[in-house]
Amino acid sequence: MLVDVRVNDLDKALAACAKGDRMALRSIYDREAGRLIALAERIVQRRELAEEVVQEAFIRIWTHAHQYSPDRGSAHGWIYAIVRNRALNLLRDGKREYTVEDVEALRESEQVDEIMATWQKLDRNSRLYECLAALDETKRRGILMAYVGGYSHGEIAGRLRIPLGTAKSWIRRALSALRGCMA
Amino acid sequence: MMYERRDIPEIADEYVLGLIGASEAAEIEAEMERDAELRAAVAASRERFLPLDTTVEPAAANEALWRKIEVNLPPQAGTPSSIQFPPVNDNQTNGWRVAALSAIAASVMLAVGLVFSLTRTAEPLVIAVLVNEAGEVQAVVEDFGNENARIRLLADIEVPTDKTMQVWTLPSREMGPISLGLIDGVHSARLEGPALPSPRDSQLYEITLEQAGGSPTGRPTGPILAKGLAQRPR
Repeated sequence: MLVDVRVNDLDKALAACAKGDRMALRSIYDREAGRLIALAERIVQRRELAEEVVQEAFIRIWTHAHQYSPDRGSAHGWIYAIVRNRALNLLRDGKREYTVEDVEALRESEQVDEIMATWQKLDRNSRLYECLAALDETKRRGILMAYVGGYSHGEIAGRLRIPLGTAKSWIRRALSALRGCMA
Repeated sequence: MMYERRDIPEIADEYVLGLIGASEAAEIEAEMERDAELRAAVAASRERFLPLDTTVEPAAANEALWRKIEVNLPPQAGTPSSIQFPPVNDNQTNGWRVAALSAIAASVMLAVGLVFSLTRTAEPLVIAVLVNEAGEVQAVVEDFGNENARIRLLADIEVPTDKTMQVWTLPSREMGPISLGLIDGVHSARLEGPALPSPRDSQLYEITLEQAGGSPTGRPTGPILAKGLAQRPR
């Protein structure tokens, strides 16, 4: 039941943040910042930018803590979503200070391997692992590129060398299959 | 934003994966506040994919990043650092948040305040550094708790001839703001207020601009010139 206890702790920490308790935010930082920086870095691809994302995200966690309630999912998921959204916004704003060639090179080589490795790191007995395994290779790749790497439909189509419309419909079908599989 | 109910799970997934544009994402976020089914679908989608994030190899988090976060935290609504006055006083503006954020400047001045307080024989129970909306230090209040307080003006505050500066404190939310007295002219002053509970840490002090003779209602009615929270000398 360790997981449940930890999730409850985050719930309480958010409630304390809403009341102005900075130590509660600090406890979230101590426990989650390392993973949050790493997840932002997977998307924005640079450590300094990832830290910027996490910095903004923690301020948002603080200012929006009062909005958190269990009908928005787990506190864990809520906090991670804030970091993901900040990272995605940074990508959409095109703030990455890379040249186009840098991005292409980085994305081609390391990032795709890293993205696929994410699936391998999942607990083999988890539903998510099994359900991703049940997808065919290309669809699994598409889903992981989107979620883990923050790729857009267009980027996915380019990497998988398929037309944009095809990429969109594959991903839609893959998401639907995952929902069915995990229900 | 228009969508069919049956499309909700798909919209939620695409939102969670980040597959939609920024403006559409903002629309979905607004819609989530109204539409419980969409909110639940987004929550469920997040939970489905969350293991991909929680299994990431943690990076080393550092103290410097925490400090950058901490100095930028605004005060929370409803905490003592952002007490709102009763509606009689409708001069609150967002700018005060900015003022509150300049806690660093205030604490530097607090040190100055402490130095001069230490050189005095009577010890104030609390000292409050009052800053204006731009975060500039305007005055220091020393509250001795025995119906005596001293205010030292540290900036030239312009007061029209038919107006006066009035000093207030908020001993508790129930009591509401209480006048400590008027400042004649633009000098530092010794104030003899009413008997109040002993001043505490984080108690709010402020100066408002009132008509000559002081606020007619006994509550602050004019614009806030400066405000700050008390701290106990350590």
